[in-house]
This record gives sequence, C-alpha cells and structure tokens, in this order.
Amino acid sequence: MSSPLVLAVPAKGRLQENAEAFFARAGLSLIKPRGARDYRGAVAGLDGVEVAYLSAAEITSQLAAGAVHLGVTGEDLVREMIPDADARVVLIEGLGFGFANVVVAVPQAWIDVRTMADLDDVATAFRQHHERKMRVATKYVNLTRGFFSEHGIHDYRIVESSGATEGAPAAGTAELIVDITTTGATLAANGLKVVEDGVILRSQANLVAARGAKWGVSERETARVILDRVAAQARARAFREVRARFAACDARLVESAKQKFGVETPFGGPTSSGMLTLHCPPDAVYALTSFLRERGAEAVAVADLGYVFSRDNPLYAKLEAGL
Amino acid sequence: MLLMDARVPSEANEPDARAEALIAAYERAGYRRCAPAILQPAEPFLDLSGEDIRKRMYLTTAPGGGDFCLRPDLTIPVSCDYLASSAAGDPAGYCYLGPVFRHRRNEPAEFLQAGIESFGRPDKAAADAEMLARGLEAVTHYGLASPDIHTGDVALFASLIAGLDLPGAWKRRLIKDFNRKANLAQDLARLELGGSNNRPEYQGVLAALAGSDPRGAHALVTDLLSIAGINAVGGRSVGEIADRFLEQAALGAATKLPRDVRGLIERFLAIAGDPDEAAAALRQLAADAGMATALAPALDLFASRTGFLAAHGIDVKRVRFATAFSRGFDYYTGFVFELTDPKRTGDPLVAGGRYDELLSRLGSPQPIPAVGFAVWIERLAVYGGGR
Repeated sequence: MSSPLVLAVPAKGRLQENAEAFFARAGLSLIKPRGARDYRGAVAGLDGVEVAYLSAAEITSQLAAGAVHLGVTGEDLVREMIPDADARVVLIEGLGFGFANVVVAVPQAWIDVRTMADLDDVATAFRQHHERKMRVATKYVNLTRGFFSEHGIHDYRIVESSGATEGAPAAGTAELIVDITTTGATLAANGLKVVEDGVILRSQANLVAARGAKWGVSERETARVILDRVAAQARARAFREVRARFAACDARLVESAKQKFGVETPFGGPTSSGMLTLHCPPDAVYALTSFLRERGAEAVAVADLGYVFSRDNPLYAKLEAGL
Repeated sequence: MLLMDARVPSEANEPDARAEALIAAYERAGYRRCAPAILQPAEPFLDLSGEDIRKRMYLTTAPGGGDFCLRPDLTIPVSCDYLASSAAGDPAGYCYLGPVFRHRRNEPAEFLQAGIESFGRPDKAAADAEMLARGLEAVTHYGLASPDIHTGDVALFASLIAGLDLPGAWKRRLIKDFNRKANLAQDLARLELGGSNNRPEYQGVLAALAGSDPRGAHALVTDLLSIAGINAVGGRSVGEIADRFLEQAALGAATKLPRDVRGLIERFLAIAGDPDEAAAALRQLAADAGMATALAPALDLFASRTGFLAAHGIDVKRVRFATAFSRGFDYYTGFVFELTDPKRTGDPLVAGGRYDELLSRLGSPQPIPAVGFAVWIERLAVYGGGR
C-alpha cells in the first residue's frame, strides 16, 4: 500500500474552525473516525489522505522538515521559523482568514517617531544617551532582524517574548515591540502606536506545501485532487455569475466588458441567440449589470457560484513548479 | 535553530603543525598564549557585535536562565579574560589558536582561528603597524608571498564628520552607516534633498518651536503630552522625547545639506591609493576645506603609522589604502585591515583593526587602547608552502 499524503491542520481554536470550514467549502470534509479527541483524521470520501491536527507552529516546522506534505499555517510563522523559506516550502494560496499584520509599535508618547528613519535615529541616540541599546520585545526574532537590517537600524537588542508582548514597554522590559495586530486595539490599549512604514508583513493563513516531503505518484495525484477542489472553490469565491440575453450582445461588447470590469467568459462569447454568461468580480457586479442594461439587456441575473472547475489546475501547477 | 547543517569535520579542526608553529612564533615575539572558554555568555557578543550576529551564533540557555553561546570569535573572550586578570589596564599582548563557531552556508560551522590581541599600548601608530606585520607573517608562513593588503582608517571619517557643520542627528547617522558599510550614498542623497521626514500634522508646531527658547519649548512639549493624556511608557523620558522633537524642529529650519559639504564628503570617500598618496590627497582636502586643524591628529597618526609600516620592512607601495574601507563592525575606531588572495576567493585570510572603545564597553573603568587581528587557518591551509 502506498503511503498517505499528510495534510496538517491547526488543532485548536478559530484557526481550526476556519480551516475546517475552508476545506468543507471546497467539498473536503475533515472527519475524525476515531472520535473528536483524536489528533489524526481523514477526508470524507477521499482515500490516501491523513489529516494531522497540530499547533500552527508545529505545522510550520513539520513543513520545513518535509514531515507533512501540505499544511495550513500563517505566513508570519513561515517567514519567521523557516530560514530561506522559499527554498523549503511553497505558499500555494492565501486562505482568506487568519489575517494579521506583523508591525513595529512604539509608545504613543514618542511623538518624534513616525517612520523607521526616525526610529533609526532614536536608536543611535538612545545608545549614546543610556549607554545601552534600545530593546525590542518580540517573538518574531528573525523577521525583526531582517526588517531592521533593511532599514539600516543596528543599535537595538531583541528581547524574546512569548506572550503579552504589548505589555513589555509598560513593564519596562523593552522600549518598543514587534508583534502581530489585527485591529490595533490591543496596541492602543497599551499606549502603543504602529510606525507608519513599520508593517513588516501582511500575513494570513496559507495552504503551504513542503518541498522536502516525499512526493511520489500517489501523493501528487492526491494533492492534485485536493488542489483542484480548492481552486474550484477559490475561483467560485472570486466571481459572481452574471447572465443575460439580448440581441445587441456581440464580441465587441464582451471585449469592452472585459476591459472595464475584469470579467471572464467561461463558456466563450455570446451564443447566436445573444445568450451570454460572464464571471465578474463581486465589486464590479452592479456596474456590469448597468452596463449590460444600458446596451439593451432586459434582465440580468446574478448568482453565487458553488464551484468553478476548469481544465487547468493553477494551484497544482504552482505546487508542481515548486517541487 | 531549525534545520541547521552543523556537520563538524573531525580532522580539519585539529591544529596542524604549521598553525602550532605560527603560534609558537607569536609567543616568541612576546604574546602570551591564551585559551578562553569555548562556552561564553552571549550578552557581550549580541551587545557589541549587533543582532545580525545572532543568526550565525550557536545559542543555548542555561537551566537557571542566562544565554550562552559557542564563541563566534575570540576578540571579545580574550578581552574579557584580560579585563578579569590582574594585568587589566597594563600593556599586555595575547595570542590564540582554537575553534570558533558560526553558522555558515555550505561551510562547517566549527573552524579554526588564530590571532593576536594587544591591549594597553599607548604607542598606537607603532602597535597598528606591528599588527599588520604580524598578520603578514601568518600569510607568508603558509607560503603566500604577497597577498593584497587592504587598509582603512575609521578615525579619519569620524574626524571629518566631527569637523563638519552638520546637525547632530545627521552626524550620528553618517558615522553609523559608514561603520556598517551601509546606505552612505543614500544618506548623502537624502541629506541634500533635505526635509526627509516631512510630517505635515506637526509642521506648524515644529515651525513655531524652531528657534524658540529651549526651556520654554521643552515645557510646551511636556504639556502637550499630558494634555493629550499620553503616559510616557518605555525607557525614553519625556525630556528625551522633547529634546529630539525640538531637534527635528531645528532640522526643519535647516535640513538641506549644502552642496559643497556633500561634495566634500564624496571627495573624501573617493580618496584611495598607497598610504603616501592618500595622505597627500587628504592634506590637500583638509587645506581646501579649512579643516586642517580638525583632521590634524588623525592625519598625523596616519603618517606616523605609514613610517612604522616601512620600518617593519613592508613595501608601502603595495599597501592599498581607501578612506571608504571599513570592516562592517562598529567597534573599530581607527586602523582596519584585511589580507586577501585575489587569485582565490578574495575572502579575508587575515583581518583586524583597532578597537579602543571595546574594553570600556566591556566594563573597564578606564579607556584601554586595543588592536588585534584574526587569522583564518582553514583558508590558509590550502597553501602548500611553509617554512
């Protein structure tokens, strides 16, 4: 029997709920045949997949080591924990949840600091003034070092912090922090503000593939099926289906709609009777319907899409290119 | 610590007879052989060499807390041992031969270094020249007769900047970036553009504060913070914040670097050649800029050092000097040098320099001049010759 493809999914909290919902939308229900407390699962109706429930940090290190094939984890962890990440993993697709920015935040009282250039100057002056270096509390040691180095900042020390980083300046254990934030409310409540050009990374949960895992024929085939479903769902999510039928509908009109609204024509141009099906980005739907009606459409129907399967499989192509 | 390739070759790190002979020669020249602990407190390295070194260090945490590392170089351990000894403060010279540990891509993490550290010698020019001569000794000992000799002098740039009429913030920045081999051209461009940190919301306050009485302005900034209900958190006091805020106000009035000052810095950084040519060009520059007095001490030391190099039998015409040469570590304060073999990788075979402030930063109550160098034994081992 061939070995299964291992898909690592967060074991706890909102990340788990979101990941399960994401796979469910793609028609992949994650099940735990041996009970809810089991840390191993399967995908209903798809053989050859083993689901491993792990913490996001473990998923990241297992991906780096090639011990799992695919995993759901935050880009922040990938960039922080895996040296030379792009050589070891492929970020296949952002999943639309788990959004968080990794930012540089300083005390609000630092009215003289708004940019990283200000921070650079303050760091150098701080060292002269206090005979020690400015301390940065963070769990993102590598991201911080890389970002500060890009901005030419060298006079600082990292204080590793594993929790409640935002409290470090008030507690006196650091002068500033690098941490994740979603709304900035926690930072503000702790008297901190984000440096204007201090966003290190805009992160979200990603479907990530390990380059170092064993990718035999059966693993690739299983991955192709999973990614086909994910892609079909992702594409469905990115478009609304817009249908209309009117005589004036011709190729020129379709071309103009493509340019104006970014629509796609999954089934080609209008039929001989003027029947047209377009896939339109959600933001442009109303404008598109006005456009069509102005040109003679009596009625325009707009519907959500369940899945859009296409012959090519862009996500699998991305994986294969990266292996 | 994930996924590091830390293969340690077994034989490559056994000091061979040639390396032992080199150290024996250093001992005969009066340098005491020392062997600092391999496991070192991590703090001094992170503090003095900067966070960038962290990713190359092998760090570990003691059960009771406290970070330790496998020594990534020997300058700091030898300096610490010297400061802890009864000789601290007196002139003393040490030599060493042993493994250091740094994560390197495609190369073993453990490798051998030899070297010399010379502390407390007041005759700086002579001590600088001797270090270069001892470094050359190591290279010829391994059979490479004439390596490229690259030299620089961090003190010259520092004196130039100190003598210029520039805001303090810009002086700090230029010195820091020069030491780090970074962003200097970018700095100069920004300086000339002026007003780099435009902050429209504060422009009015800053303009109102510019040129006002510092004490009154200070009080105003302090009041502003308390009116806004902002508590000062973190290690910077309100006074410090106010001071820098006012500095920004002053900068706002005169941010633009005069074109002639930028031209002067660029002309300075373009000076290169053998030490005598460079000295002549530097004296001319100092005279043209009316900075002869500001640059005199650094230039005199430079000329004196060149004399000592010749006295050591070094062909001064072969020494390449460049004002822009720095080693990328901010603890160097004067002479810096590297010996390379351009026919091979061009990586330093020997590298070192003067670091007069390091011992103070390691806790010495009085300043102690210091100069030294390290020898990459593994890079020299490929040469076939010998004594």
